[in-house]
Amino acid sequence: MADFIKHPEVPLPDLDPAPSFSEEELVFTEEERAQIAEYVRRYPTADGAVMRALWLAQEKFGFLPPEVIRLVAETLGIPYAQAYGVATFYTQYYKQKKGRYVLDVCTSFSCQLCGGYDMLHYLEEQLGIQKGETTEDGLFTLQEVECLGACGSAPMLQVTNGPYVFNLTPEKLDALLEDLRAGKMPAFTSVTLPQDEDEMGGNRRSDAPQSAVYETPPVARTLE
Amino acid sequence: MPKVTIDHQVYEFEGRPKALQFCLDHGIELPHFCYHPAMSIPANCRECLIEVGMPAIDRETRQPKLDKDGNPVIRFMPKLMTSCSQDLADGMVIRTHRTSEKVARAQQDTLEFLLINHPLDCPICDQAGHCPLQIQAYKYGPEGSRFEFRKVRKPKHIKLGPRVMLDGERCINCTRCVRFTDEISKSRQLTIIERGVRNYPITPPGVTFDDPYSMNVIDICPVGALTSIDFRFKARIWEMSSAPSITTTNAKGSNCHYWVKDNLVLRITARPNAAVNDYWLPDEDRLDYHRFNENRPDGPRIDGRPATWDEAYARAAEVLRSVPGEGILFLGSAHATVEDNYLLTKLAKALGADVPRYIPHVEPGHGDGWLRTDDRTPNAEGCRRLGIEPVDEAMIRAKMEAGEIKAVYALEDDPVAAGLFSAEALANVPVILHPYHTTNETLPVTDVALPAAMVVETVGTYVNCDGHAQRVRPAKAIRDVNRTLVLEMDKGRPDKHGTPFDRWHHEDHQVNCRPSWVSLPAVAQKAGHPMPYKGPKYIMAELARTDPAFSGATYEAMGLSGVRLESVGEAV
Ligand code: SF4
Ligand code: FES
Ligand code: FES
Repeated sequence: MADFIKHPEVPLPDLDPAPSFSEEELVFTEEERAQIAEYVRRYPTADGAVMRALWLAQEKFGFLPPEVIRLVAETLGIPYAQAYGVATFYTQYYKQKKGRYVLDVCTSFSCQLCGGYDMLHYLEEQLGIQKGETTEDGLFTLQEVECLGACGSAPMLQVTNGPYVFNLTPEKLDALLEDLRAGKMPAFTSVTLPQDEDEMGGNRRSDAPQSAVYETPPVARTLE
Repeated sequence: MPKVTIDHQVYEFEGRPKALQFCLDHGIELPHFCYHPAMSIPANCRECLIEVGMPAIDRETRQPKLDKDGNPVIRFMPKLMTSCSQDLADGMVIRTHRTSEKVARAQQDTLEFLLINHPLDCPICDQAGHCPLQIQAYKYGPEGSRFEFRKVRKPKHIKLGPRVMLDGERCINCTRCVRFTDEISKSRQLTIIERGVRNYPITPPGVTFDDPYSMNVIDICPVGALTSIDFRFKARIWEMSSAPSITTTNAKGSNCHYWVKDNLVLRITARPNAAVNDYWLPDEDRLDYHRFNENRPDGPRIDGRPATWDEAYARAAEVLRSVPGEGILFLGSAHATVEDNYLLTKLAKALGADVPRYIPHVEPGHGDGWLRTDDRTPNAEGCRRLGIEPVDEAMIRAKMEAGEIKAVYALEDDPVAAGLFSAEALANVPVILHPYHTTNETLPVTDVALPAAMVVETVGTYVNCDGHAQRVRPAKAIRDVNRTLVLEMDKGRPDKHGTPFDRWHHEDHQVNCRPSWVSLPAVAQKAGHPMPYKGPKYIMAELARTDPAFSGATYEAMGLSGVRLESVGEAV
């Protein structure tokens, strides 16, 4: 983003890209179709399901080149242009092929104050790449992102649109990289409010069974 | 009736109008960009803000609260509302920028935001001079900008399709173009991509914006982001004059403006008419102007040699007098006006010939049930109402072979190119023709050519496929000075101030042709059958009076939006 401020240039997308997937690869299985149909049923019109269907496609294909977006649109029976507009709006939909793990380091206000850039640069050094790039082994993509809504635990990063890692330190990052290289994703950590800590074991998510609990840092006496 | 107060003035309203449209209908100008009356209302430009209040209701009595003077207490909404999406309600009080400092300020600030990343390249922009952004920035915008950073650069001169060019930097993301393809033309070829300062409209990869109605987005784009590839950089808007008229590529007669500089038609834009084409024009109608400028004849010809108009009229009359009336084949034209065809029927009748026929130009499958029709002529319905039927080709050819046709008099058409006769078949009969172009394939076998004014040079009436009678007005000048044409042309200019490029200013590109309503009576006069009409207006008045098929179709009644005629007989 910082680069965009210095050189605010919006590129033209490749309007005639070579496809990344062959015709044979570009199909949804029966189960996937059934799943998409199920999504559609939840909304009054099929376009309501576009985000879920795109997500499903991204999990399947790894990223969303135009031909995959078109496949999603055709499966839903909505205009391709509309699906393309949605896919380009959200940065979490990857329009380019990324590394196996995408590290989104927040450098927005709170994280920045608490060392977000230090963490970003540390990762750049460790991985030998610049932000926005992917390591040669295809394992890591490093990105700088805007606020991910976990400012209370700054600085933080997110791994491949998934779990958050909070209160980053170089040591924590080392451990994270090691885990990821070993194929071990960090556990989902529930961010709690002080009043939740006694309930539900501090886990506010019922859909993530195996999770670590993140302890709220001590609140200053004066605030109580 | 429910009432609404706008800037201290009370108006009555019916139904559930939106505040913006209501204001516009009542002559109150509110700045706006994204709102278009024919499309859904996204309220995304935020330029049309107003203050909206409702009478406070007393909880207990359920009556409006009154202040000490007995006036209802008005509770204004804490935030400004977008007038385009604001339904009117009984008792509502609205303040526009005319009475509210807050609204004026908000409009100004919105414009400042809209202009932050705008390239401000009006001096080289085709839209300059009729650009809603430019006009409203002058009227409602701030004096200058406080933005001191680099402007965002976006893709420029991108061909979205064969006819529309995008300049991403000028776009204000009003989504009118996207909504047009989604809701009106239904091609769904455009979308807004990316987010925040990075967004702009484009086709998704692999898609070409080749919608047959694509160029309408150029009209409705409130900035110069979408321009016509065909018209780009050809002329500035203030160097041109425009005339309200209709297009003639098909039988729909969509309403348009012809834009002229130096007597050349340079572009055609849509003119709203709810009874015919709403706000839209097919692309083929917009690009149909080269034929007004190219291959135009230079005066009348006798046997292929240049002649004066008088000589040509005399020669035509001589031909007509030299053969028996029944032997003359009169061909009307679905390209010509009702007036011209009517004069032709009168001439045929006076000479004792059969009722004229016309050559149909139907292209099956061309129509789309909207603004394009299979019929590629503008006035087949007008001909039909005059009793001019399509030619029976086989019958006419048989007659020609049997030598029963002694002369052919053809109004604005091309019998040879249309395949009615071969050039050889016509070689031995005298032919009188009112051609538009020097490329007319009947010309080599024509004895007397009386070049005719085209739709952009004449005054007249066309009847569209739905029986809608509409007037056309001259958009450019022809060589001859004709009082009727000059008067009509004068009315075509909205501002009444000439420019050095005006159509009457230059002799250049003035075609030496005459409307058929000038030539036909001149020929008739010389042939001994005077037709004392003062002009097409009087011809039409006579038809409207005497022929039930044209009842009510006077020039006054047709005005700018036409008259729907009673249906007569079967539609063609
Ligand atoms: S290109 Fe024009 S019509 Fe389309 S969104 Fe931008 S400003 Fe609106
Ligand atoms: S600033 Fe980093 S999560 Fe909010
Ligand atoms: S016209 Fe109302 S928000 Fe754009």
